[in-house]
Amino acid sequence: MVKLSRRGFLISTGWVAGGVTLIYSLRNRAIATAPTIIFPDEASGAAWLQIRPDGSCRMFFSRQDMGQNANTGLAQIVAEELNIEMKDIEGILPTTSDVPPLAVTAGSMSLTAFSRPTAIAAATLRESLRSRAAVALSKPLSAVLDDRGGFRTAEGHTISYVQLVDSANVIVDFDDNQPAPALYTFDTTRAKNQIGQGVKPLGIRQLVTGDKVFASDISMKEILYGRVIQPPVRNALLADLDTAGVAEIPGVVQIVHQDDFIGVVCKTPSAVDAAIAQINVTWDLKQPINQREIDRLIDVDKAMVNGDLEHTLLDQAHRKDVDWEIDLRFDVQVQTHAQQEPRTAIARFNEGNTDHKLEIWTGTQDAWAIKRSASRDTGLPEEDIVVHPQRMGGGFGGREYYEVERDAVRLTRAVKRPVKVQWTRRDEFTASRSRPASAQRVRIATDSEGNLSDWWHSYISGYVTLARERLPGWLLPMMRLGEDSGVVKGAVPHYSAPHQRVEYQDVDFPIDLGVWRSLNGAPALFAIESAMDELAVRRGADPVDYKIAQMKGAHPRLENCLEEVRKISKRRPLPKGKGYGRGFACGSYDGRCFVAVSADVYVDDATRQIKVEHMSCAQDVGLAINPDQLRAQVESNMAWSVGMALLEKFEVANDSIQSANFDDYRIPRMTDMPSLTISIIDQPSIPPTGAGEVALVAGVPAIANAVRHASGVRPLQLPISYEAVSANDLENI
Amino acid sequence: MKLIVNGTEHQIEPEWRNETLLTVLREHLNLTGTRFSCGIGQCGACIVHLNSNPISSCMLPVAEAETHDILTIEGLAKEDGTLHPLQQAWVDENVPQCGYCQSGQIMQALALLQETSSPTDADIDRAMNGNLCRCGTYDRIRKSIKSAARAMAEAR
Repeated sequence: MVKLSRRGFLISTGWVAGGVTLIYSLRNRAIATAPTIIFPDEASGAAWLQIRPDGSCRMFFSRQDMGQNANTGLAQIVAEELNIEMKDIEGILPTTSDVPPLAVTAGSMSLTAFSRPTAIAAATLRESLRSRAAVALSKPLSAVLDDRGGFRTAEGHTISYVQLVDSANVIVDFDDNQPAPALYTFDTTRAKNQIGQGVKPLGIRQLVTGDKVFASDISMKEILYGRVIQPPVRNALLADLDTAGVAEIPGVVQIVHQDDFIGVVCKTPSAVDAAIAQINVTWDLKQPINQREIDRLIDVDKAMVNGDLEHTLLDQAHRKDVDWEIDLRFDVQVQTHAQQEPRTAIARFNEGNTDHKLEIWTGTQDAWAIKRSASRDTGLPEEDIVVHPQRMGGGFGGREYYEVERDAVRLTRAVKRPVKVQWTRRDEFTASRSRPASAQRVRIATDSEGNLSDWWHSYISGYVTLARERLPGWLLPMMRLGEDSGVVKGAVPHYSAPHQRVEYQDVDFPIDLGVWRSLNGAPALFAIESAMDELAVRRGADPVDYKIAQMKGAHPRLENCLEEVRKISKRRPLPKGKGYGRGFACGSYDGRCFVAVSADVYVDDATRQIKVEHMSCAQDVGLAINPDQLRAQVESNMAWSVGMALLEKFEVANDSIQSANFDDYRIPRMTDMPSLTISIIDQPSIPPTGAGEVALVAGVPAIANAVRHASGVRPLQLPISYEAVSANDLENI
Repeated sequence: MKLIVNGTEHQIEPEWRNETLLTVLREHLNLTGTRFSCGIGQCGACIVHLNSNPISSCMLPVAEAETHDILTIEGLAKEDGTLHPLQQAWVDENVPQCGYCQSGQIMQALALLQETSSPTDADIDRAMNGNLCRCGTYDRIRKSIKSAARAMAEAR
């Protein structure tokens, strides 16, 4: 295969078909099955931008779309820098062959990591066009002023991008020896045209008309339907297989069996259902799958009997023998993503002399990881494989790995026709990489003035980013000597004490684990914020005042969020009477996103239920590029807070996953939703901080604290049940 | 066998006659706006109208839909591209996040407004509580139903 230079490649694919294009180069490469973690730097640009001869702008979107609408925000930045309107931008979700690897879409990092490089790329393009305008107008650069879609002079001459761009290819390389051009996006003195506006999410019309936007909407000639039997856990070994009678089912094309991989390919989806139902499989497990085993693994109190836990996050003049004012254990159950779209992939092998021998269509957070894994799985060189990423019907951290894609690739290879694999809802639950359960012991002591003197937080969680099968097996033991970046999320408190220790242990679970919205952020803040609330309540202090005081001025943005949420929560007085309670909580995600939430709950003795009636949220987002979409992310996080605090529990028993569908894994419904008051705190001088998984960290403990206020009983386990806090069961405090 | 979808008659080939209505719509007729999500009528993503009644198409054998008038999300906007008031309200309120459940939400909301032209919050709760949205867009769905109801009342 001829290796083209990046520039030649761009031209050969027709991307540079005329006009002025800005390109960037990329230096790094990621390893086999690990996530793609190449973030753009300032000199690289985050987007390929092109002004076309008709004056419109084309951009390759750098983020995978799953409802967070990050690409809309990035397009707003491009429009701001180029003085154009959103309608002038054509966005394209690139395939893995269109652009160099882009970072996995995760960690609420999209706007944080991509906004500035995108702005630099667009501003560089603008300034290069300004130079052309100066030549065309015979004016010095300084006399060429911005105008909508072009430039003007003080004398009133105008020249548009259309006039400056012809059909000749001109490529502008970003020169990182030059100072960055003026960035309008981050200039707090400028009036903005796009930034801070409630720009409509791109592609919204397609979503309300039922257009083809998801992987499962793709059809192609000769397509067949396949499915694979998902083991209860990925390291299970096939013990016994009985496929008698399957081949005789009408519509069955082929049974595919390689080692522990068993799948079928059929002419229609109902034949797939019938064939899978006919196959009998038993699995050998390495660990028993049941709740008791999980409870045993995370028993933090038992582990602490043996001394310090394995990893230390914080240790400062730690004291063990103190008169603990708070000494509570908090337990969080397994939760799973349950995104509305069961994942789907289509794979096709192309015969003969084609650009790509293997094509994959899928909704994924990490298209380049899929390509690398498919290469490893098939033995094909990476350049022979292309992934066409599609919109995801929800991601939430669960769609970074080669899974349904693997099923489709192996089945299509066996039958030599394109195969569509759509997981069933049961497959989704069985093969999900859920958020682990965890158990946390929090101990707090105070000095004679009531300030924190000792903080000791010890916890055990299942692995998150270092979970089994997320990295190559040979790499895992080495990586596990270090920190699991998911397990440590949120655990260092914002409160300061002269004597502190935060320690944890991570353990292998009998089920597969992985990244779930906020990772350990919401579990950790549930424990920390509950413990602090309990301390304030027992001292007779106002929890908001007490928390602010114990931050000792170190987190002004977080304090500000708490003050703001206290203010906005007052707009809606808490109803008087038994059963009503209001709780507050605050937190940060990765130390860059700050949020505070208040929740009003009603503990209803008549129906024996807990209902969240209202939530208020104040979130400091740095520069608010699209306030409406930031609000939408807060709304989503509030819904997830209700789910995590009150509803969701992933059930395992009898060596299998019991949760199989929405009838036995309860996610929030419309009637579970509280009314909301949301305040987006815009900080134009601070880069955008991300929002996708932030407010959840404060929403969950706010609900728990409200239940404490309403019932007088401290919730110690998630999800919180009415029974656990009803007056009849007071022994848990 | 024939199906009448959005006013158009479609011939259903023999190999597709044992499928659900949802599978036939999506895989045979290429009308993919109706989505598969739970497969057991527990989430509402696959709702279509059968003679103006909302049904979970993932549960209905296609043979039972024969001779009935089927309306899917693709049949809501006018031929000139004008959106149905519900779709327009969804756009105005920026309802969708991932968007996967929204076809079913809109079809269920349509059934509600056909029955109750000016629904209360309790009516909306009752009608929409079977339609799941993992992104949690419920607040905006509620607002959109109300604004669509107003728009439809004004148009009458």
